[in-house]
Amino acid sequence: MAGNLVAQAVSAATASAPAPGGSAAGAAADAVSAASVLPSAGPRSGFGLALDRLEYGIMVPLLYVALAFLLVALSARLVRILRAPGPPYQLAIYPAPRLPLLAALRDAFGMPQVLRRAPLFWVFLMMYHVGVLALLLGHLDLFPAIRIMPAGSRHMLGAGLVGVMVTLPTFYFLGRRFMGENRKISTPGDYFLLLLLLFLFLFGDLMSWGNSWTASGFVMTKSDFSRYFGILANLSFADPRTVLHGAHYHFIVIHVFLAELFFFVLPFTKVMHAFLALPVEALRRQVWKRS
Amino acid sequence: MEEIVSAEARAEALKELFEKKLNSAMRLYLESCARCGLCVESCHVFASMPQTRYTAVGRAEVVRKIFKRYFKLQGRFAPWLGETLELNDSSVDALYDAAFSCTGCRRCMVHCPFGIDTQLIMSIAKALLIGADKEPKILSMLADMSIAKGESIEETKADFAQALANLDGEVRELWPASPTPAVPYEVPDSRVLYVALAGSHSIVSAAAIMNAAGESWCLSSFEAVNFAAFLGDAPKAKRIAQRIVDEAKRLRVKEVAVVECGTAFRYLRHMIEPQGFEVVAFAQLIDRYLAEGRIRLDRSRLAEKVTYHDPCQLARNSGVIEEPRRVLRALASDFAEMTPNRAENWCCGGGGGLVAMGEEEFRMKSSKVKADQMRASGASVIVTACENCHSQLSDLNRHYGLGMRVEFLSHLAARALVRSR
Repeated sequence: MAGNLVAQAVSAATASAPAPGGSAAGAAADAVSAASVLPSAGPRSGFGLALDRLEYGIMVPLLYVALAFLLVALSARLVRILRAPGPPYQLAIYPAPRLPLLAALRDAFGMPQVLRRAPLFWVFLMMYHVGVLALLLGHLDLFPAIRIMPAGSRHMLGAGLVGVMVTLPTFYFLGRRFMGENRKISTPGDYFLLLLLLFLFLFGDLMSWGNSWTASGFVMTKSDFSRYFGILANLSFADPRTVLHGAHYHFIVIHVFLAELFFFVLPFTKVMHAFLALPVEALRRQVWKRS
Repeated sequence: MEEIVSAEARAEALKELFEKKLNSAMRLYLESCARCGLCVESCHVFASMPQTRYTAVGRAEVVRKIFKRYFKLQGRFAPWLGETLELNDSSVDALYDAAFSCTGCRRCMVHCPFGIDTQLIMSIAKALLIGADKEPKILSMLADMSIAKGESIEETKADFAQALANLDGEVRELWPASPTPAVPYEVPDSRVLYVALAGSHSIVSAAAIMNAAGESWCLSSFEAVNFAAFLGDAPKAKRIAQRIVDEAKRLRVKEVAVVECGTAFRYLRHMIEPQGFEVVAFAQLIDRYLAEGRIRLDRSRLAEKVTYHDPCQLARNSGVIEEPRRVLRALASDFAEMTPNRAENWCCGGGGGLVAMGEEEFRMKSSKVKADQMRASGASVIVTACENCHSQLSDLNRHYGLGMRVEFLSHLAARALVRSR
């Protein structure tokens, strides 16, 4: 197994040519960085081997399992809701809007109810949700087939700002949980979910911020992350260490592990509102036709 | 041992009842709450008695925690995460506290970022209470009486017709040109079937207005109020409404006009299938007569400052918002809005069956915010278009010494009727 990993690593290192559009200096830095952090020559044993295997398990197979679980569980939950009998009667609130769908979209994405009653909360909510959207785009951009940022860019989408956009509000949401009536209506699950997200984001921030604060600049660039996503997209099951260099690798593993945990729990938490908000809002806005 | 088995069997039976209420809307509401707390201050009960159990989320969480326990994996593997609740005597007591401290006004739904309907969630609580035989017995009794009346109506029709004849004089006092009889009853092919409440106060003014408008109408044999809707007993509520539906079809009316009762109107208008006739609130009918020039009102008869209380079931839950205001502007020279109003108006605190149940101490304490709102209006007359609200506002007026006069919209309109040119 260890020999196999080393062979894959060497093969990947030799194949890590600069991405089209990337600068020669950047490519050279990447190559130097890659060469300096390849798994040490010779077979690993004991704790090192166990750690390698654990990290590989987290970075590749478990990620597939988590994503598959998320898709299946999410679909099952949505199907269960959609297949349940419809509401017994109209649930609208008046005055009724002229364009119910538009009103439901405005409610779901603009959250005017929050803006009116808690403007500061609204600012953080908007920042958070826009940030999550950008975060998703930023991660999709890591797939070689998708090009939002230039392929040779060292930065992911937002150059670290997106991470701040989700991390700061998460601190606020967590703090808010401890205040007044919010503390009384919160359950342990609410705190755990926020803590999980907070640490997930913090380790993500470490990638985009801490990762670039080295004497020689970036340890890992967007191109490196893209190569990792390439491994995942190609189902090659190669060791990500061959393309992700440096000691920060362990933090990436933790980031990915937290993301996997999030994928596993998402269908059973209130994060489901991401998928349910629009249909729920439609119930409030839809006046039934009576003929 | 026997007791344990019986408790388990009871919990299982209640779980089945719960499952029957899990339609798509209910599942959406139970899954979506983010516990953001924005509904906390929406409830008049919390605003008057700040306790978590009197918040919309606090009430819904009782049901949601039972949902998590029996219908989500979390309940099986990590119940502590959601502080799930077992179905037992203690949780049934919590359900009672939640369901019957909620008037079903749905003000929280206006403020919820998702629009979660606490009233619908409370319908699970009420169904479980019925299953556990812990529902308010007074509401059960009143609902059963309504159903029994429907079954024996033929036997009482003659007496009822006689009693209605006795109202002729009162109607003529308000509209001397009323036809004979002034309160028509059992008239096939009438255009309007008017469904009143028990008591002549809900008949006389309405009769005068419809007679003044030259309406083709007759009075229903039944009371509009639906105690089973307050109780949360869906099958009984349907049977109570069905009496009126059958009567309307038998008399081949075009329209059913519902007395000033918010719940009765919402139930017949929005909570049963369309039946081939229109359902209107009486306030809408008055507004239409005014718009069509079929009646005229004298604005000089009411010089005092007047304000209007939006009944929750009529306004934010059924859309009858501007019609009563147009009527009021036609009959009062000094009309001023309360703050907040329309969809944001504070509930009077008497809905959800609380007035019928008595509960005066709770109603008065839990509606202090309403009394403050009434006082702040500076009006000497508060008008409403709902029997429940009228009773509760009158109690608040007396309890808090507000010195106001509480009026029905229809009564003011009937007293302000003037002969057309």
